[in-house]
Amino acid sequence: MDIRNILAEAAAICGPSGHEMDIAAYFAEKFRPFTDEVKVDAMHNVIAHKKGTGPKVMLAAHLDEIALLVTKIEDDGSLRLGMVGGVDPRILPGSRVWVHGKEKLFGTIGALPPHLMSAEDRQNNYQLKNLHVDLGMTAERVKEQVKIGDLVTLDDRATELLNHQFACKTMDDRACVTLLLCAAEYLQKLHCDADVYFVATSQEEVGSRGAETAAFAIDPDLAIALDVDHATIPGSRPDSTVPGDKLAVSVGPYIQPKLCDRLLDCAKEHNAALTVTVAGRSTATDADEIGLTRGGVPTVLLSLPLKYMHTSVETIDLRVLKEGGRLLAHFVSELDAGWEEDLWI
Amino acid sequence: MFELLKKVLAPVGPSGLEGPVAAAITEEIRPYVDTIETDALGNLIATKLGKGENPRKVMISAHMDHIGYIVTGVEKEGYLRVTNVGGIGMDASLTRHVVFQNGVHGVVVCEPVEGNKQLRHLFVDIGAADKDEALKMVSLGDVAVYANDCFALGAHRVASPAMDDRCACALLVKLLQTLGETEDTVIALFSVQEEVGCRGAKVASFAKEPDVGIALDVTLWGDTPGTSQPDIKLGEGCAIKIMDRGSISNPALREELIACGEKAGVKTQREVLPYGGTDASAMQTSRGGIPVCTVSIPCRYVHSACEVIDLRDMDAALKVLTAYLK
Amino acid sequence: MDLRTLTEINAPAGHEQALRRALLEEVRSMGLIPYLDRMGNVVCVKEGTGPAPRKRVMISAHMDEVGLIVVSATEDGFLRVTPVGGVDPRVVISKRVLVGDDNLPGVIGATAIHLQSAADRRHVLGYNEIYVDIGAKDKAEAEGKAPKGTYISFDTKYVEYGDGFACAKAFDDRVGVHTILEVLKEDYPVDVIAVFSSEEEVGCRGAKGAAFSTEPDMGIVLEGTTCNDLGDVPDPLQVCKAGQGVAVSFMDGASIANRELFKKALALGQEQNIPCQVKSSVSGGNDGGVIQRAREGVPVVVLSVPCRYIHSPSTVIKLSDAKSQLDLTKALLRAI
Repeated sequence: MDIRNILAEAAAICGPSGHEMDIAAYFAEKFRPFTDEVKVDAMHNVIAHKKGTGPKVMLAAHLDEIALLVTKIEDDGSLRLGMVGGVDPRILPGSRVWVHGKEKLFGTIGALPPHLMSAEDRQNNYQLKNLHVDLGMTAERVKEQVKIGDLVTLDDRATELLNHQFACKTMDDRACVTLLLCAAEYLQKLHCDADVYFVATSQEEVGSRGAETAAFAIDPDLAIALDVDHATIPGSRPDSTVPGDKLAVSVGPYIQPKLCDRLLDCAKEHNAALTVTVAGRSTATDADEIGLTRGGVPTVLLSLPLKYMHTSVETIDLRVLKEGGRLLAHFVSELDAGWEEDLWI
Repeated sequence: MFELLKKVLAPVGPSGLEGPVAAAITEEIRPYVDTIETDALGNLIATKLGKGENPRKVMISAHMDHIGYIVTGVEKEGYLRVTNVGGIGMDASLTRHVVFQNGVHGVVVCEPVEGNKQLRHLFVDIGAADKDEALKMVSLGDVAVYANDCFALGAHRVASPAMDDRCACALLVKLLQTLGETEDTVIALFSVQEEVGCRGAKVASFAKEPDVGIALDVTLWGDTPGTSQPDIKLGEGCAIKIMDRGSISNPALREELIACGEKAGVKTQREVLPYGGTDASAMQTSRGGIPVCTVSIPCRYVHSACEVIDLRDMDAALKVLTAYLK
Repeated sequence: MDLRTLTEINAPAGHEQALRRALLEEVRSMGLIPYLDRMGNVVCVKEGTGPAPRKRVMISAHMDEVGLIVVSATEDGFLRVTPVGGVDPRVVISKRVLVGDDNLPGVIGATAIHLQSAADRRHVLGYNEIYVDIGAKDKAEAEGKAPKGTYISFDTKYVEYGDGFACAKAFDDRVGVHTILEVLKEDYPVDVIAVFSSEEEVGCRGAKGAAFSTEPDMGIVLEGTTCNDLGDVPDPLQVCKAGQGVAVSFMDGASIANRELFKKALALGQEQNIPCQVKSSVSGGNDGGVIQRAREGVPVVVLSVPCRYIHSPSTVIKLSDAKSQLDLTKALLRAI
């Protein structure tokens, strides 16, 4: 599997929360060779089912991306913006964007230049309400092309750095969907009794709404959510980041402790580097909602380290991604009927 | 529409105590629907069976509950201390006429404070001489709402408290009265406890398992002095929601509703709201998830005692919904 | 099992194993059959004596308590921690704790007052400045004894004092757990679904699952709730008063009580001389919120024991209020 190619192709597809139709179709095709049945549901979740007679396990990573959208078209043709998910307005001035109007339009994000600002104002970051998208067109043409609600996505160029580090938008969390693909491919080589659902979820960035409904529909016995976690960078606070060169598993009240131990044992057994990170409360990932489905779903959270989250240069280590696929495949292949014994004692 | 609106606006029905609203609505819709039921939380659910083969179930919700002031204590001089049920703002709370479900009237007043006025500074004067007398008139846990005062504003507009969301209740009543036969089964949900977190819609959509959900609610405005966003104007047609904090409308359904407006020859507006949520959020994530959209009535001064809507926008919404279901 | 035993068991949210084991044993010893569900709730269904079909009434109390969890160790062997549930950092300084399943003793200290500047004295220490000291000589020893993810509880003994008061940790909500155990000793016309729920303090996660899977017709939530009745607090801000009986809520941050149940509870209290009061504050949230919203909706009422200094290492109740909670619960189960 050409991981670089998949990551770059996926990043170029517009799929903000609630609008994952195209990116869902893309990943649905990618899962097809490795699973028995693939569908895209009403929420745009991709649900790929590899049938088995053992425990029903749901593996989930989210498809959707943070983005902007047009909230107003000014009389001069500049576009005012709102957010889909948590966009950091600091990254926007000078950014190149795609405006998904009738056609896909190139735009730049403009702001008042520092020369025209007071010394005091220069000390503050730009706020979204003060920024606009410049399409380089007359207002008349803009109004033909663009409507309120049209999506605006960040620059989607991919760049490979030294040491297998790969930088692009939407590595959060399409890198983890790609990790799921790697797991599905690797699982072909292993014996597997488990009834496996690979799920690329929608609307995680606005509150795990896709994971909530997919988990209800699938009704799994257990689940593993995959998401990115902040990798250490200069100046990052201790305990708020994870090492960039290995996978991480979360511990804390939202995570089933025995399943977590099982994953740690599995990593040791197969020589996969896996570190522990602590979530004292919610994990702010799909794991939270999946765990609360119906009567409850024992759930663990596996994280891929990522630098510069929610920017257009989200950076991951390709080797860690592949390693995650291998670990996940082994974990699933080794799930037996006894997984639930003494889960809570 | 104005007469119907007045009937639906009149009952006192804060979140959790929506009974009188349900009673008034039941009277209006009985001849037009196949079944009417009330669930464990007080949702009023009216079903109009579709004539198609294997009809889809379309749930359309409008919430009955109204924000209010709940009594948490009584001062020995007889003044009531209150806190909010739903999104009560301080600006809207200054010296207002309120009424309890048992008919007791009061005035919400803020004590003089330096700095930020807060809910804890509010009290309700019900004319009681002391605590004992006050507790004969109301009990802890009783809820007051802005007293009904509905009047026409110019040729097309109406002002009243509780427009959020009784105007949508009236719209849904009107839809049931005028719709006639449809292919789809229409489940009209007059929901409870929307203002405290869409609790009614959550349980009702679980129970009824709709295939599609449409919430009817009010939205904010950007056409009065000092406002510019959202880009919504009164009288320019109903708004079709693209997103708010609670839900992102299904893009296909949203475009279909906008197309229905064009087909029916009425104006619609595209709405992006950076805050708030509607029953659509609860319907969308019920069970396995369904496509949802919110059809909004633009409303000025939402969550005040004078919420203003334009009857032409109500008419547009009625035509959009009728076109969608026909 | 008495309140002393119950409050001295450590069960921070997400790590309720010790209490879970004790409750399974206790319920079994009463001749009943408890089970564990997938959220780790201890559930016991006691069939009613009335004619079928019987109402199914869920009574729930949460097993878990607030605590801390280890996030890392410093180079010199101190443990860095974060709270599990709402623990105000201002109440943990100068307290003793128990770390992990082996109950390793630890203390939480701070810079001595002699060494504080005027600004330091005003500054509220955050969890990024608070450490648990287990006496470890270095990072390796600390990580060996208390690896990341180790749960920490307050080390507080149960004491009875004054005019029928008791002081312990975790009255929120061991008092409710105790009430359920007592309720289960008698028979009722309705089916009683007793749920000792997990993870209330981190978002009512256990009860949400239990309410879905047990499908109750009605819910009674047994809680310990905040009370602020001492000192110079104006009457309407006291929430409820210790010693004035069980507090019945009309609304809190998560649920609005079913009006009929609310009125019924108060009326029963009056009829049967069970001291009860109205909780006069709309604050907090508890299992009632998720039970109310389960499946097609469930009417709920919350009955709480007033609990001073809630979420601190030393919480205080008046024992007669616990008795009132028990009496009113039994009365409700017989009157529904």
